Order: sequence, then C-alpha cells, then structure tokens
Amino acid sequence: MNQAAVVKPSFPDSLSLVALTVAGLLSLPLAYVAYMALAADAAIWSRLWTTRIPELLLNTTALALSVAAGTLLLGVSLAWLVARREFPGRRVWEWALVLPLAIPTYVLAYIYSHLLGTGGPVESAWQVLAGPDARLPSPHSYAGATLVMTLDTFPFVYLLARAAFLNLNVSYEEVARACGVSRAGTLFRITLPLMRPAIVAGLSLVILYVVSDFGAVSLLRYQTLTYAVYQQITGRYDPTAASILSLLLVAVALVFLIAERWFRQRSRFFQTTGRYRAPARRQCGPLGATLATIYTTGIFAASFGVPACMLAAWSVSAVSSGAVDIRFFGFVWNSTFLSGLAATCAVVIGLPLAYLASRRPSRVNLLCLQAAYAGYVLPGPVGALALLAIVSHLAPFWYGTAAVLVIAYVVHFLPAGLQSMEPALQQVTPNLEEASRSLGFGTAATLRRVTLPLVQSGFIAAWVLMFLQSMKELPATLLLRPVGFDTLAVRVWLEASEEYYQLAAPSALLIVVMTIPAILLLVSKDWRAA
Amino acid sequence: MNQYRFHKFGLLLPVLVLAFYACLAAWSAPAPAAEPDRLVVYSGRAERLIKPLLDSFQAKTGIQVDLLSSGTTEVVNRLQAEGERTPADILITNDAGSLERARELGLLRPPAPPNNIETIPARFRAADNSWIGLSGRFWIVVYSTTLVKPSDLRSLLDLAEPRWKGKIAIPNAGSEYLQAGISVIKSIYGDDRTKQLLEGLKANAGTQVYGKSSQIVEAVAKGQVALGVVNHYYAYRYLATQPGAPIAVLMPDQHEGGMGAIINVAGIGIIAHSKHADSAKRLVEYLVSEEGQKQFADLNKEYPLHPRVAADPALPPYKTTRVAPVPLTKLGGLREPAMALIEQAGLR
Repeated sequence: MNQAAVVKPSFPDSLSLVALTVAGLLSLPLAYVAYMALAADAAIWSRLWTTRIPELLLNTTALALSVAAGTLLLGVSLAWLVARREFPGRRVWEWALVLPLAIPTYVLAYIYSHLLGTGGPVESAWQVLAGPDARLPSPHSYAGATLVMTLDTFPFVYLLARAAFLNLNVSYEEVARACGVSRAGTLFRITLPLMRPAIVAGLSLVILYVVSDFGAVSLLRYQTLTYAVYQQITGRYDPTAASILSLLLVAVALVFLIAERWFRQRSRFFQTTGRYRAPARRQCGPLGATLATIYTTGIFAASFGVPACMLAAWSVSAVSSGAVDIRFFGFVWNSTFLSGLAATCAVVIGLPLAYLASRRPSRVNLLCLQAAYAGYVLPGPVGALALLAIVSHLAPFWYGTAAVLVIAYVVHFLPAGLQSMEPALQQVTPNLEEASRSLGFGTAATLRRVTLPLVQSGFIAAWVLMFLQSMKELPATLLLRPVGFDTLAVRVWLEASEEYYQLAAPSALLIVVMTIPAILLLVSKDWRAA
Repeated sequence: MNQYRFHKFGLLLPVLVLAFYACLAAWSAPAPAAEPDRLVVYSGRAERLIKPLLDSFQAKTGIQVDLLSSGTTEVVNRLQAEGERTPADILITNDAGSLERARELGLLRPPAPPNNIETIPARFRAADNSWIGLSGRFWIVVYSTTLVKPSDLRSLLDLAEPRWKGKIAIPNAGSEYLQAGISVIKSIYGDDRTKQLLEGLKANAGTQVYGKSSQIVEAVAKGQVALGVVNHYYAYRYLATQPGAPIAVLMPDQHEGGMGAIINVAGIGIIAHSKHADSAKRLVEYLVSEEGQKQFADLNKEYPLHPRVAADPALPPYKTTRVAPVPLTKLGGLREPAMALIEQAGLR
C-alpha cells in the first residue's frame, strides 16, 4: 500500500502529460499541412484557382452527394425490407448485405472496370442483343465512380438504418395508423423522420469515405481532390500545390462533418422508455416475396457475389499459372505485421486519451481527445505528405522505415478506434474504480485489474476495426512503404492499375477473406444491441 | 462472466505487449546495410520492366538486389529527403531529365574507373558520367488502325487540332515522358506554340488522361480513343503479346523540316551516399554490357544503346529516324519552365 501512496500523486500527472504529448503529435500533420498551404506563394494559389480547383471541388462534392443519394436509397430500402417484412431467406440477407464492406473500393473498382469496360463481358453480352457496334457508357467516369462507391458503402447506411427500424418505438406508428394515416404515409411521415439521426450518421460515414477515397477514383480515372493530391505528390518536385489541395480537401471534409453535427443537434429525438415493443414483421405475399428476393439478391450479387466469384476464378487461374510464389507470403506477412502493429499502437495511444476524457473531462483533456480526431479529416495522401515532411525534419532516421507507415495508420485510423473505445470506458461506472481504490489498489492496479477487463470487448472491437482499415489502406502505403515492403493492398493496386487483373486477384481475394470474419465480429456486437 | 473476461484479457495483454516489443526490437536491430553483398535499387520504372534484369544480375553475381519500384519523381524526392541516410545504392529512372536533376542535387556519383560505360555513346550519358543511359525510347503516337489512317497526322503539334476532340489519350501531368516531351517542344518551338499545344491536348483529351502508358495503349487497342501518345515500347510490347491487335505506331515529326521524334533514355546512376559502391558499379557494368543490353532489347523492346547490340527488328530503325536536336543533358534544366507551362494550361 505504500506503493500506492507513492504512485498516486505522480501517475495522473504523467498520464495527462502523455495524453498532451500524444494529442500534440497527432494534430501535427494537420497543422503542418495548413501551415504549408497558407504560407504558399499567392501566385500558386491563384494559378490553382484558375486551373484545377473549381473542377476538383465540383467533382469531389458531386461524387459525395450522388453516392450519398445512392446509399440512402439502397441502404434505407434494404433495411426496411429486412426489418419490417418477412420473406424467404430474410435472415440470410440480413447479414449478407453487410459483406460488401469487406471489399476495398479499389478492388470493386477494378472488377467493374473489367466488367463494364470496353470489350468486357457486359458489353459483349449487350452487343449480342443490340448489334456489334453498340457501346456502353464507360465506367471510367462520374457515373462509374458513383456506381462503385455506392455499391461499396451502402452497408454503412443499411446497418444504422436497420438498427433504427428495429429500435424505433412502434407506438408512434400505431398512433398514426389509428388516426387513419396509410401505411406508406406512416413510413414517410413518421418512421423515416424519426430515423433521421441514424440515417445522417450513416451518410456522414459514407461521405467521409468517398471524399478520402483514393483507390476507386484513381482506377476509374475520376479526378477528385484526394486523387489530385496524390498525383501532385508523386509527379512534382515541389509539394506546395499538393499542400494547397490538401488543405482544401481537409476543409471539404470538415464542412461535411460540421454539417452532420449541426444536423444531429437539431434533430434529437428521445424515446419514452418502458413501453418499448419490437415492431412486428409483415409477411410478404408471393409477389412481394419474389420482388424482395430479386431486389436483395441483385444488390448482393452486384456488390459482393459477382466480384467475389470473379476474384476467386481469377485467383485460381493466377495460382495455376504459377503467379503466386514465395514473395506472395512475404506480402501477406507485411500486411499483417504492419496492420497489427498499427492497431496495437493505436489502442495503446488511444487509452490515455479516452480514459482522461471520460474520467476527468477537464477542458484540456477533452481538447486532447478532439485533437486525436484530426486524423478523420486527413485522407491518406494528405497524411503521407505531412508525415514525409515532418519525419524528415524531426526524426530523419525513421525516414523510409515501416515506423512512418505505422504512424500514418495510427493518425488516420485512431478516430475510428476511439469511437468504440470511448463508449466502452464511459459505460464503466467510476464507482467500481473508486471501490477498487478504497480497497487498496493503486491507480495503475485499478486500471489493470478493474477497468481494462471491463472495457476489453470494446477495445478488441477497436483493435479489429483499425487492423482492418490499415490492411485495406492504399495511398499512404504506396507513398510511405519502405524498400521491399510491399503489402497486399499495394500489390493489388500495382497490378490492377496496369490492367493485369488476374495477377491482382490473389492479393485482393486474401484481403477480402481476412476482412470477412472481422466484419462479422463487429456486426454481431451490433446485432445483439439491435 | 467477469471472471472469464478477465482471464481472456490477461492472455491478450501480454501478447500485445510482446508483439509491440518484438517490433521495436526488429527496428533497432542493425540495419541490413552493413552486409556487403546487397544492393538497394530505387526505380522509377514499372517493376515488370526492370525486375527480370535485376534477377539475372543477382543470379549471376550472388549479390542480392532489393527493389523499390515507384514513380520516377517520387523516388528522386525520396532520395533528396533521405540525404546521406538513404539505404539506396542505385537510382534507375525512365527519364534523363530526372537523372540530370538528381545529378544537380548531388545525389549521384560517377562509377570509379576503370569501367565499361564509355561503350555507351557520350550523348546518352551525363557530362560527368554520373548517370548513364541504358535504353532509348521514342515518344510516339500509337493509333487505332480501324479509326485512323497514318496519313492523318504527321506531327505531335497536330494533336492540338480540334478535329481530334474526344479522340486522343494522353498521360497525366505527372508523367515524366510528357514533361520531357514538352521540354523538347518548348525549346524548339518556344512558349506560344507549346502553350497552344498544351491547351489543345487538354481540350481534345477531355477525361482520357491516364496514369500509365500501358492503359493508353489498351484504350487505343479497344477503340475507346483513336490515338494516344506513349513511349514506343508500350505499343510494341502490346503487339508482342496480342499480335492481331488493331494498333500501329506512327513516328511523328519525320517530315522535311520537322523537329524529329523526341528521344529519351532510361538510365542508371550510383547514389552518392551508397555504402556499396563496388557492388553498385558491378550492376551498372552488367546493365551496360552486351548481355544486359540485349535483355533491354528483347524483354522491353527498347533501343539498346550499346553500339554492338541490335534493336528488335520490328522497331523502326534508329539510324534512319530523324531525332529532335535537343541534348538529353539539357532536359534537367528545361524541366521547371516546362512544368510551369503544363501547370498554367491546367493539365491534370
């Protein structure tokens, strides 16, 4: 117990110090990009304004909005179908519709550029019907990028909308029905408006994802800010223009984020507890069941089934032609090692931030937590740009090592992890910790023996989430990878960008296969709650 | 339940901590740079165009070669940032301008004499030999034989004409081939004609702006566009794998009074801070030798620069080709002003 007395005064201070340092380091990249951009020569700003910026801003927002509209339509309609209707196979579709999250955007993009591209299977089939000169619109376009991103991200909206449909207090709807409002009227005038917070949360995930995506837009050659930043970094000796575009990109992401916060504040609904009953599912008639099956099967096939089958078929032919050699296992190891290390570091780093913010929510501690969220609006190429410069000044011996890549992952994905670490900590009542302290444990022992065991499932979820995202990450990995340290994601992109689709398939398939169990784990947590 | 959770966590925590420390230990282990028979190559060329040559060097000498294959500008930026701490021993790029820039930045050093690099004609080497050309390439027009007749076009400058609107594919502004090509055109025709060309290219290409030359050839072969501007070997490599493809190569600016085709080289240089200068020199000598040069000719359909090694017979003979009269060593200095024009035109 003497030990506890010694530890007690020093430990909190050192913890705060750690949190402050970590927060400072995490916000450094953002600060650096802003500084570089604002210190840039006005002539470069005006040149970019007259040449590139209007097009890039327009393209980026147009893609974000159209994908948001597409995912809204798909996500909500599918969620309604599985949550409120009963039809054969509903239970299977209910979880299968989450699987598209396992396919990285660049993988879906390359599959669609093969499927819908000139001379691809869809065009060939169309030419059989419509004559040999018939052409389909190219997937390398705004429409193509919208299609791919929508199919890849609708599960975000679907998941949240499904939970909202299931959690909604059914009595609101019953009141509307009792007052003579039709079923459709109830859906559009009562249910959907009440679900707004969940839908908006899903859409904001989608939009941030689209705005910071590099893989799909680069393979589909659709110019967005993120893609332009990457091109500037790789094609120019001078990083000034890249940092200006980066700052704009950060601004666009922030605008969407703030809009979402504002919207959520305005539309906050509270359920009257105690009278909750789960809404009943209505049985579909034969026609309805057929339509529902066609719809869900179609979306599932387009977003996961067909792509996964093509990857499998290509992988088989790549393996049998001897394209998978000993190097392949090296790529697997590199991917696993880097992502595992990044996720572990992020959990370790996130712990003091989340702990202090929930246990001692002083202004400084909350600010530290907010600083950690800076990575949210730092898309891969932007983070890489800042880190390259920062590391070469502050820690030059790390330049070109895996350490920089791990830092990039931590900065970018810690926010996602914090979102499940924070609530996990908040759910543990401080009483338990106080009891432990009063029974003679020190702060450290309390943390180790009481708090951590209670929050572990939230932390494991955070670890898994960050592991997955690091594994799929592409632009920062391309820019920061050390010599001879290609990952699976890098291999997919290198082969796919030269249209060697078969050679890209084994790596892509492995990413998907490794991602699926983790996604199911995350979803199953959600499932019980719903 | 809590008991169970605690137990599981008790297992997890040490594993995580151990993993963390294992990784730290792996980093702080002495760098592999200390081993003698190991070279690190930074390459701006596509992996499949250079790895086979490095593999045969490795098989022949036993010197292990680690390759970082990335963009040319990117690896030069990286070398500059790494300075004396760089793990790299060799720089290979697809563009003389970038090599010249690396030389000006003091990143390269000439191989120690005696060596065999003098077999490469002097116009394909740096003035101080700190970079050496390995293979030549022309910036050509690849066209779809179903959509275009070779008589439709004779100069790269014709590509700015409005009749090509929506029909051409070009590389993006980050492409070193484009930057080098524009440098040459600018030094021959001046700023105004070059600006006109760039604006025409931008308008005519529209969204058909590609990151990889192989994609441009593919787009032409599929008839998505009528023609594209690429290095010659991308077209010939495509024809070698797909012999019936409806594409052909047009060597531009060969007419009387024309500027001649734009030539560039892929080249090699030894990194100034390399700790394995001897092994690095052996790699340079291997790639310059007849054996190495023959591989460039066979594998990549490039023009070998060694006078005794013949190019692929399918290629237009080098001797009868009119070549634009801008020395390769000038490409470095021309780069910045050319980039300014490209950026003013707002190419992607």
